[in-house]
Amino acid sequence: MRNRNFKRLLSAVMAGVMTLGILTGCSGGSEEAKTDESGATVIKFGIHVANPAEQEVVTYNIVEAFNKANEGKYKVEFEAADTETHSKNMKLKAEDGSLPQIFWIEGSEASEYSEAGVLLDLSEFLNENGNVKEALGGMEEAFVDDNGQFGLPYQCNVQGIFYNKELFDNAKVDYPTDETTYDEFIEMIGKLKESGVIPLAIGSKNSAYAMWEFNEFLARYGWEGNIDNILSGKDKFNNKELTACFEKLEGLKDAGSFPENMATIEYFDAKQLFNEGKAAMFGTGQWDCAEFDKNIGDKIGFWWGPKFTDTQSSQEIVMKVPSAPIGVSAKVADDEKLKEGVYEFLKFYYGEEAAKLSYEGSIFPATSYDGAAASDSQYAMNAMIEALANGWASPKAAPDLTVSSAVQEALYDGIFGVLQGTYKPAEALDKIDAALANSQ
Amino acid sequence: MHWLSKKKYKIGLMIPTLLVYSIFIMLPIVIAVRYSFTKYSGIGQAKFTGFKNYVRLFQDKIFWISLKNTMIMFVMAFVLLLTLSFLIALLLNKRLKAVDFSKALIFSPAIIAPIIVGIIWVYILDPNIGIINNLLDAVGADALKAKWIGGEKWSPYSIAIIYFWQQLGYLVTIFIAGLKMIPGDVLEAVKIDGASAVQEVRYVIIPMMRTTISTVAVLIITGVFKIFEIVQQTTGGGPNHLSETLVTYSYSMTFSSSDYGYGMSLATVTFLLSLMITAVYTAVTKEREG
Repeated sequence: MRNRNFKRLLSAVMAGVMTLGILTGCSGGSEEAKTDESGATVIKFGIHVANPAEQEVVTYNIVEAFNKANEGKYKVEFEAADTETHSKNMKLKAEDGSLPQIFWIEGSEASEYSEAGVLLDLSEFLNENGNVKEALGGMEEAFVDDNGQFGLPYQCNVQGIFYNKELFDNAKVDYPTDETTYDEFIEMIGKLKESGVIPLAIGSKNSAYAMWEFNEFLARYGWEGNIDNILSGKDKFNNKELTACFEKLEGLKDAGSFPENMATIEYFDAKQLFNEGKAAMFGTGQWDCAEFDKNIGDKIGFWWGPKFTDTQSSQEIVMKVPSAPIGVSAKVADDEKLKEGVYEFLKFYYGEEAAKLSYEGSIFPATSYDGAAASDSQYAMNAMIEALANGWASPKAAPDLTVSSAVQEALYDGIFGVLQGTYKPAEALDKIDAALANSQ
Repeated sequence: MHWLSKKKYKIGLMIPTLLVYSIFIMLPIVIAVRYSFTKYSGIGQAKFTGFKNYVRLFQDKIFWISLKNTMIMFVMAFVLLLTLSFLIALLLNKRLKAVDFSKALIFSPAIIAPIIVGIIWVYILDPNIGIINNLLDAVGADALKAKWIGGEKWSPYSIAIIYFWQQLGYLVTIFIAGLKMIPGDVLEAVKIDGASAVQEVRYVIIPMMRTTISTVAVLIITGVFKIFEIVQQTTGGGPNHLSETLVTYSYSMTFSSSDYGYGMSLATVTFLLSLMITAVYTAVTKEREG
């Protein structure tokens, strides 16, 4: 009898231990280590690339420089994952209260985090650090809502169309200028195509976000002036201005601007076509400058995109906008020492030394400091700086970052739908309107 | 071991498994169904919206496209995989030359990660760089060139073929295992009785392999409803969602559009559909057996 009871007890204990083991084995465990072995306060920085040392070199260098300058006091450690995984992880962490102290936020999701109250209002930081606010020069205004300053720009994004001068020369096509019109652009595409190159490299597979050159189209058809009316229901995406804009996209498709297999290639494949001299133009931003310096060198040119003559909206617009923001977890406020460390890092990140490191890595920082500039061998970045010299205005934010995730996704889908001939312009715009209606 | 065979001990020993199953399989399903009745962006509070997501789903053209694509893949995979894997298993069960090599060759796609499978097939099917179109070009059959992936028509068929290629070896192995279970003396008796090869398969092998056939059928049904990586790798669901399956569309809505509630309603419908088809198949085969 005693033996039987012992066996009962043993099996119950074993079952319990197994279950507990499995449950604990699958749980995430604590990641809130606050100091490292040297006693330095550890600050976690959630970043949207899997390997920051190679994929976000500038940010990696800034963090390294900060850690070196603050040895034994503060240490910033990356929590790295590719963009999609990072976004999913941050949402899960926001739900269970384990967000890293600082983290990159997908632009269209930033307001959702703010509304959920998981972000620290950084107004206090900016008020305490007037020099940072001055250096940001208004870039921070894109990330203010009723909850305050919910984020700060991770970088400054300069977006447009890079072109390969050599391929233009071969095709006997003049380089585009600020005054080049849409009709001239279409002509240019025809000649480039005749010369045997792909006029404009673009890939849509898993790359709907890679539509930076078309942000300029949207902006020049009055996006900034209309978007509030559209989002509040007073107007629709399917309006006269955006219809005209989407018709221009359709015109690009009709002119044969894109690779035939754009549906099965990704942004990276399209960039490869440009790097290899198989495509004459490629729409992107400053993050690709270093790669173009290496592959195309001084043959690189940069252009904002065509001017449109069928709209009253200003055409003197460039796309120098704040990138997606970085946010600080609201929980940081609970720990004075941690908050101090985070503020110290932000001060460094938006400081002059970090700005210089940014320029060295061909990235425009969100801040402006005198004396921080690109070197002569940074051809792609210098082409952008030259283009920026026209002094034209920029919108407060890139058009695609002014809408919620669902609408943003529909916007991307609509643009690529028209570029690929799947949708007619009105149909694409109706789909964006439907996405907006569903998201409200 | 007498004490272990008692009912109450059996139940006791099942508790850990049941707990794990409940927590990691059943609970997520329940949570997903719950979220399908809400509007939720993944952060903050989910807002109860009743059947709104389901009403939207039935009005959503892309849902119907995804369902159509899934069904095309299901029919193609079911017919091709069930028949061909069975026939190949019959062939490989014979003592032929190079049988072991053939088994290894046929099984090899099953050990390749689905993402790699996708990459391999991009190089075969891509309209520009793919082998098929380049071959057609080389032999002057330009008229037969098509957008096997990334176009508006052929993507679901191409994905079904890729899935077939990937799964064939695995299912052949299951069938071979089933064939090995048939007692040799039964087959010998059939031969002595003078049955033809077709009669042997029709009246002896198939009836004796009903359980194996059912298992393979259920694996195909549930497998088709989980095709994800191949779609992501070959077309990404594009162009413009035209090659989405139910599961990739659910993923896209949930994680790209941050529309968790709607994404979960798609996942729930996919789950119910898969359950329904499996139930119908099981009922039909049981009725026949009865």
